[in-house]
Amino acid sequence: MSTTTAAAAHPRGIFHKAGSLRAERRWALVTAYISLVIAAIIMLAPPVYMFLTSIKTSAEIADLSGNPWWVRDPTLENYTALIFNPMFRGFFWNSVKVTLLVVALTMAISILAAFALGRMRFWGSQWLATGVFLTYLVPDTLLFIPLYQIVGGLGLLDSTWGLVLVYPTLTVPFCTWIMIGYFASIPKELDEAALIDGANWMQMLTRIFIPVALPGIIAATIFAFTVSWAAFVYPTAFITSPAEMPMTIGVVSQLIRGDTFAWGQLMAGALLAALPPVIVYAFLMDYYIAGLTAGATKG
Amino acid sequence: MAKGLTRRGAMRAGAGVLAAGAVGAPMVHAQGSAGSLRFAFWDHWVPGANGALQQLAQRWGERNRVNMTLDFINTTGNQLQLTIAAQAQSRSGHDGISLLPWDPGTYANQLEPVDDVMGRLSQKYGQVNPIAEFLAKRGGAWRGVPATSGTQTKPALARFDLLQQHAGLDIRAMWPARNERGPGSDQWTWDTFLRAAEACHRAGVPFGLPMGQFTDAVDWVGALFASYGARLTDERGNPTVRNNQELRQVLDYAVRLSRFLPNDVWAWDDASNNRALISGRSALIFNPPSAWAVAKRDAPQVAENCWTIPMPSGPRGRFLAYLPYVTGIWAFGRNKNAAKAFLEFITERENAEFTSTFSQGYDIPPFLSMADFRVWETEGPPVGTIFNYPLKPHHQASYSIAFSPAPPDLAQQMYIQALNTKLIARIAQGNESVDAALGWVEREINNMRRG
Amino acid sequence: MADGSTLAMPAASAPAGSLQRFARRRSTIAFLMTLPLILVIFGLVAWPAGYAMYLATLNRRMTEFIGLGNFEILLDSETFRMVIFQSVFFAVTAVILKALIGFWLAHMLHHIPTKGQRKWRGMLLVPWVIPPALSTLGWWWMYEPSYSSLNWLLAIFAVPPVPWLGEPWWARISVIIVNVWYGAPFFMIMYLAALKSVPEQLYEAAAIDGATSWQRLRYVTLPMMRNIISITVLFSLIVTFANYDIVRVLTNGGPRDLTHVFASYAFQVGILAGNIPRGAAVSLFMFPILAVIAFFVLRGINKRNREEA
Repeated sequence: MSTTTAAAAHPRGIFHKAGSLRAERRWALVTAYISLVIAAIIMLAPPVYMFLTSIKTSAEIADLSGNPWWVRDPTLENYTALIFNPMFRGFFWNSVKVTLLVVALTMAISILAAFALGRMRFWGSQWLATGVFLTYLVPDTLLFIPLYQIVGGLGLLDSTWGLVLVYPTLTVPFCTWIMIGYFASIPKELDEAALIDGANWMQMLTRIFIPVALPGIIAATIFAFTVSWAAFVYPTAFITSPAEMPMTIGVVSQLIRGDTFAWGQLMAGALLAALPPVIVYAFLMDYYIAGLTAGATKG
Repeated sequence: MAKGLTRRGAMRAGAGVLAAGAVGAPMVHAQGSAGSLRFAFWDHWVPGANGALQQLAQRWGERNRVNMTLDFINTTGNQLQLTIAAQAQSRSGHDGISLLPWDPGTYANQLEPVDDVMGRLSQKYGQVNPIAEFLAKRGGAWRGVPATSGTQTKPALARFDLLQQHAGLDIRAMWPARNERGPGSDQWTWDTFLRAAEACHRAGVPFGLPMGQFTDAVDWVGALFASYGARLTDERGNPTVRNNQELRQVLDYAVRLSRFLPNDVWAWDDASNNRALISGRSALIFNPPSAWAVAKRDAPQVAENCWTIPMPSGPRGRFLAYLPYVTGIWAFGRNKNAAKAFLEFITERENAEFTSTFSQGYDIPPFLSMADFRVWETEGPPVGTIFNYPLKPHHQASYSIAFSPAPPDLAQQMYIQALNTKLIARIAQGNESVDAALGWVEREINNMRRG
Repeated sequence: MADGSTLAMPAASAPAGSLQRFARRRSTIAFLMTLPLILVIFGLVAWPAGYAMYLATLNRRMTEFIGLGNFEILLDSETFRMVIFQSVFFAVTAVILKALIGFWLAHMLHHIPTKGQRKWRGMLLVPWVIPPALSTLGWWWMYEPSYSSLNWLLAIFAVPPVPWLGEPWWARISVIIVNVWYGAPFFMIMYLAALKSVPEQLYEAAAIDGATSWQRLRYVTLPMMRNIISITVLFSLIVTFANYDIVRVLTNGGPRDLTHVFASYAFQVGILAGNIPRGAAVSLFMFPILAVIAFFVLRGINKRNREEA
């Protein structure tokens, strides 16, 4: 990409400075790698330690004599205990169900709204575009009591459907905002051309904007996925029976037993719960970054 | 009850349960289903202990043709507190729910009075635990039935080997697994305790006494205050902080004691003391037997050396920290009479004993006459290790809850804000003068009383 | 923006009636497309928030209107004044650290050959991917006094054990560490995206002019990234001020309330101590301040966009 071509272009363009420039570059590269190695160690230490704990037996965890960063007697029993536990698998499916529905709902709402706000304009649209972002000023720790009444009034308490209803408050604003930026960055000539061709607004959106804005859409989708997979306060407040619990709250509420923690299982559960987002990122990270590049920088 | 209902309709609504319940065992011989009940209970810390309530609910539900659904909600992450608050706000949710100690007062006007149930039970089993009564009775009426499942006391859970070795105390001889006091039990005072704490601290196995804001910390410090007669307020909630010699005395003691505790007890939660004991790094904690039960699984060599003994006594006597759960019935529920009958059923002696046994002796029943279940004699190893876990007459002790005798509204706030441990922490950890700390606590209390 | 007028242009040649109809149709369609968003925001955020504001004006038993009484009582309380200090300290420190570390890492990533970037980026993004409620448990386990694996590592270098969560300042730092650990990758990825969007010609021009790397950063990179920096900081500030999980799991506000932030304190006062109105008042405390900050930041961005357009 551009970095490599630039690296090649530099020494040629300003030849007389090549020696010092090369030294500077080498030094910069060394600094970069040292920083990255240190950062990677710090960033990965907690998950690695969680993993090490998860393959220890309870007795080994309780034993203080050895190196905590080493596993003497590795076991997979914490994982098998969870995977063969139908309740735990239930958490997983609940999370999958809620997250997929919320992501679909979020994208439908925010693509439509962002297109209307970013490209069409109507009375108050400017205000709304700003207001969307401000919804994050209202913390979920404040909202859950009034929301509880709404969800309860709809008979959706203790049900994953209740979560599908309230999670969009967490995802829609940011996604809409990213998409507004992305749509705004698309050249105006495109829709003019489409209008002249007689396309209506919906056709314009589906035929031109969605394909062009796909990286932005994927970025927003990943964001929505991460947030709804990790949501904590709302499921804590709205879900009480294990059968309806999503992964996060299920792991925390069923594996923590107040004053006695099953640390091995807890860590295994936490890592299993973290797996889907990790996989999604591993495959779609490039889109994510490309989407942000075009969308968010325009803000 | 409502007029114009058919007999069967009334049965279905659970009205018949009350009539039957008045005679004795609540039996409803209705045909078909008598409706359904949904209860939320505290999710028990002792593995498998939820099974007791499950089995009881199933048995009762089949007998009375009621569809029973039980949910178990954890207090970790305050999930139970959240659920209670949200259900009270939205006036919808379970029929009955486990309430934390101060909740019957907070939600009193939304809870169905259960005087009839408590009246019948008291007739059979005598006196209710006075602290449970103080907490569950509000505005002259019982707002819930004190629960067996989850209700705990917090005596000393100690390593007899370490105390013998480092402090020269033979606690098994002092408090044998019999209904009698042993030699040296009269010397089991806070002063002796301090000396033992110092010795164990020096030996590298300090007492694991939490000083944070979780219930374990607030409860044991509450009992300590009670045994010195130190009160932060009077019965009407007026601060009694100024010129309070008992308060200064207990603060002085607590500060001295805290020097012999691990340096981070100020941030300990309810599990930290358990871990300290299980890891073998601590000679004594104040806790229900759950720490011992886990040690039995993960560190058997620790568990074999554990022994539960009463709390030490102070100038005003011996007190035992007590943390009861109360099961309340929401006034907005539809099947309240059936709910009452179910609560009465699970509180009967044989069922309370069944519950307590299931929890390996962790659960303390609400009636004083029930302090003699077999489980506390038989659990081990070592056998008899939790014999002295419930309060027994020969302990010559009383149950306590922190901040009594303050009015419940105020006491609840003081309890949640952990004013007692914070007061100690300000002096011992924050290096404030006693006067400055007392001035602070008085302002806090006055602030809590406003609005 | 100018697109309103440009859009009208093709229609200008059409008869006046259809122009009107077109305009009406356009705004109607636009409104309909925005309707789901409006429903979500008003039904599930604005209305409940308004209700919470109403709650904040009630007394403890919710039987009487006391106006701003709850705020008055709160400001009278030393504990709450401390909570204000801590929340601000926590959020501001954490956001600054996240921004700096994120910027540094993005820069470092940008410097290395593109081939390796993917791998490093992936590793550094891991903290942001794990649900924070769960990863905080991992941190807690590393801080835990009896079993602390961090202290074990420190002991290798003969550093005495750190009471991570026991001493007030250590506890504050521990909470900030977890928040920075979790949030820095997000900054990194946003900045990296912004860095990549800076046209390479600008750097080449600067290099030909003999600019030092500091000057390149100061006069090329930062101005180009201003929007993304301010929006990321604003977003992070709002989210960090509302943070609940980390404090709740790690310290529960202790020791001595010295690590409480607004959300955890609101929770303690409102839910646990049963004073919902006062808890709502605590939650609402930052709202006006953040709203003002957000207003100015967003206005600045809009202005810059308009200038660029």
